[in-house]
Amino acid sequence: MAGLSLEHIGKTYPNGYEGVKDFNLEIADKEFIIFVGPSGCGKSTTLRMVAGLEDITSGTLKIDGRVVNDVEPKDRDIAMVFQNYALYPHMTVYENMAFPMRLRKAPQEEIDKMVHEAARILDLEKLLDRKPSALSGGQRQRVAMGRAIARQPKVFLMDEPLSNLDAKLRVQMRAEISKLHDRLGATIIYVTHDQTEAMTLGTRIVVMKDGVMQQVDTPAKLYAEPCNLFVAGFIGSPQMNFIDATVGEAAGKVTLTFGKNTITVPDSKAAALKAYKGKVVVLGIRPEDVIEEHEYAEGKTLTETIDANVTVYELLGSEAMIYGDVDGGSISAHISATNPVRTGSRIKVAFDADKIHVFDKQTELAIVH
Amino acid sequence: MANTKKVKERVNWPITILLIIGLITIIFPLYMAVVIAFKDPSEMTNDIAGILSLPSTWSLDNFIEAIQVTDFFRSFMNSLIITVVAVVVSILIHSLAAYAIGRNMDHKRIFKWSYYFIIAGMYVPFAILMMPLVKQTAIMHLDNMVGVMILYVVFYMPMNMMLYTGYLRNIPIALEEAARVDGASTWKTYWKIIFPLMKPMHATVAVITGLAVWNDVMTPLVIMGGQGVNTLPLAQMNFQTAFSTNYNLAFASYLLAMLPMIIFYIVAQKQIIGGVTNGAVK
Repeated sequence: MAGLSLEHIGKTYPNGYEGVKDFNLEIADKEFIIFVGPSGCGKSTTLRMVAGLEDITSGTLKIDGRVVNDVEPKDRDIAMVFQNYALYPHMTVYENMAFPMRLRKAPQEEIDKMVHEAARILDLEKLLDRKPSALSGGQRQRVAMGRAIARQPKVFLMDEPLSNLDAKLRVQMRAEISKLHDRLGATIIYVTHDQTEAMTLGTRIVVMKDGVMQQVDTPAKLYAEPCNLFVAGFIGSPQMNFIDATVGEAAGKVTLTFGKNTITVPDSKAAALKAYKGKVVVLGIRPEDVIEEHEYAEGKTLTETIDANVTVYELLGSEAMIYGDVDGGSISAHISATNPVRTGSRIKVAFDADKIHVFDKQTELAIVH
Repeated sequence: MANTKKVKERVNWPITILLIIGLITIIFPLYMAVVIAFKDPSEMTNDIAGILSLPSTWSLDNFIEAIQVTDFFRSFMNSLIITVVAVVVSILIHSLAAYAIGRNMDHKRIFKWSYYFIIAGMYVPFAILMMPLVKQTAIMHLDNMVGVMILYVVFYMPMNMMLYTGYLRNIPIALEEAARVDGASTWKTYWKIIFPLMKPMHATVAVITGLAVWNDVMTPLVIMGGQGVNTLPLAQMNFQTAFSTNYNLAFASYLLAMLPMIIFYIVAQKQIIGGVTNGAVK
């Protein structure tokens, strides 16, 4: 196992398109790093550059302290799990898993030991003689994992390994991968566009957009303190509410006004906003921090209420989501399933002011969390 | 129930009629060849009945004589050697070349143009190449079986190249990337992953190239004619001029020459059809 270091990594295609721009990241040994972002954000390209399947146009890539920019994939000691698994259709499960070791001319007893060990971990022992065509999607996925872990590489690379599975299997495999990481103590780089996968699996998450790294942090930190509008909107489901608001001052307190609604900013956040007085900023608040009046009793006593008109009600089982219009914007909120609010209800909500985020409208960067 | 029965019984008449016509055009000459091959030359009268009637006694005399006259077993071995070598070498070289060209032609101009160059070979008729080739092979001392084999490998390259590069598009690039990460060199990737996966195309190439080589008269005739080394079709050519009136003998030898291919087809039928359709669907 090993650490990686990506220094000023860039990818420019022959047609001049910049796929990845100045990517900097230190990955420690045994870290589970997630690259997440929308399609075309450069996350897969970055992964493929680490794998050696794409040339690195600029910057330095080090694995375990060794510069590997011009090293062939086979000499980087990495294993990769592909989105479509890329199992060799003409080989049995055993042969698929043994193939990397055969190429390295490992002795047969060792191959046998490693394959059976990997098969045991992934519960594939009964399938070793089958061809990939005789396996289900979930089994194929496990074989692809098995092929990667059997030969014990320095780094695992996974390119959206779960996106071809159905929802239930995906949740199950997600837990499996998490367990696998604990068990193997491996360094893993994992690419996904699914922010739930990112949040649940990663020790650190790299959020990317248009080839540019937006923020790198632990899942909790990323959720609590997104550095800009994009990260705030991307992490968390349903996404954070954004409302344009004007910074003002009333009775010595900083306020945010949208439509005819005004929110008083707590003192802890007020200082950073002083410079924005009179300007329009973006107020961000997560749906779980928007409190509907029936649920006040459970939370704090909130005074500044906002009138809202519920346009959509979604029951999710244990809880429900409401989407509604407020003066100056629209809002979504989590409510409990027992709450009587339904589509068409006219309700009062309040924002948990300690949890608000404020972003600069021009630069889109966070001003205060 | 009544409905399903109706559906089952519906016949596509135009297709059926076309198939029947096709069948007749194959069965009828074959029938003629078989009955004439078994007949005594004396039964061959000048009327239709003399040609189409069944033989009065099914005699193998014609076959025995044809085997002797055409030196069947030696000619057969020559044909077999040429065909097998041409097919095996074609599969190896053409698939390898197609892999190199097919995987690179989308982003490298030199590969794209070499592809077009090779494919263009399909449009050059053999008649144009014939005389220069005779001269060339003679100068290079390749006016023998080896020369014929080399020529076949070259002649069928355009067609096989097209088949292989087309099939290559069905093989996901991710497999090769996986192999590269797993530690395979380009050669290992080809040999361990791509070559086995092109099996359906190997079957198609083997059938097309094999049949054409087995039945070809022209190439061996002009390249190694008159040297006493015969392939089966060549032996029949010589024989045909010598016995131009003895149709019974001629047809017997034709059937003998057909036999190996028919046996090959019956034995390998499942694989051939399976291979071809597999290639189409996958």
